[in-house]
Amino acid sequence: MKPLKQFGPQPPMQAREDVIVFFVSGYKLAIAAGAVKEIRGMEGLQPFTLGGISAQIGKLRHTLERNGTTFFVVDAARHFQLEAAQPSRVMILRDLHTAVLVDGTDRMMEISTLHALPRVFTHEERSWYRGLAVVNGNVVPVVNHHAFLNKTEMEMLRAGLERVRGVATV
Amino acid sequence: MTVQVNKSYVLFPLGEKRFALPAEDVTELARPDNVQVFPHRTPLLTGVLVRRGKIVPVCDVAQVLVGPAAPPRKFYLIADCTIGSGRELTAVPVTGECVLASGALTATVDTELPYIQGAVTVGEEAIQIVALDKLLAMEAHA
Repeated sequence: MKPLKQFGPQPPMQAREDVIVFFVSGYKLAIAAGAVKEIRGMEGLQPFTLGGISAQIGKLRHTLERNGTTFFVVDAARHFQLEAAQPSRVMILRDLHTAVLVDGTDRMMEISTLHALPRVFTHEERSWYRGLAVVNGNVVPVVNHHAFLNKTEMEMLRAGLERVRGVATV
Repeated sequence: MTVQVNKSYVLFPLGEKRFALPAEDVTELARPDNVQVFPHRTPLLTGVLVRRGKIVPVCDVAQVLVGPAAPPRKFYLIADCTIGSGRELTAVPVTGECVLASGALTATVDTELPYIQGAVTVGEEAIQIVALDKLLAMEAHA
């Protein structure tokens, strides 16, 4: 007799949500619309150089000053460990000091179901994505926007800035 | 050598060799479908399929079982396998048609590979039985 399946797959979350579809190195991804404060062009990006931290966080190539706040601009292609892309847009994230460099943005759309990432995916992608949406038969990963710069990386940046500037500004 | 009672197995080809999965774990043999890819880092996974509203990961086990020279895969064997603390559908690309066979599982003496749980003899052929969950777990931690 087979044991009862006590731990079945996570059922998909049935919750309508607006997402912004964007492109990175030929892949189509989505991000919660509520997580994005602004989408803008590449103007105003400054090269990021902060001692050895620039080398430790290779995906962080630029900063952006906006209304007195410094945003750390993550290259999405490097974050997802993809071939170099041709970025043309910057998504500034809400409530974070993070912005994301992407090839382009497509449109805002509503998804009705967020499927859990299958458990067999065991590597970095588990933190990259909140889940998978199916849009017109196509699977679109919905990114975890907190993962573009995680807590460890933010602490590293904070410490680096404190060293350089003598005050905490992050 | 240990011998168990007869069980049913699905025999699937990967190039010149055949392997087996316990029939009770196999839910479907699917035609080639649109494998959808997105960025990830887990070895063996080539993408996902959407089957009846469910997202099914595609695990190309041929890379481990027969090496990189396996011929093009033609079908997907969809199996229910244990992943972590739960069970999940997984699609295994195979290179030809599959058959159902019955036989007794015997311990294999020529392999210590943890993902080969034994063999089933069909005619003159001893066909290795793949423990898909062990293979996936091993590759996940490779």
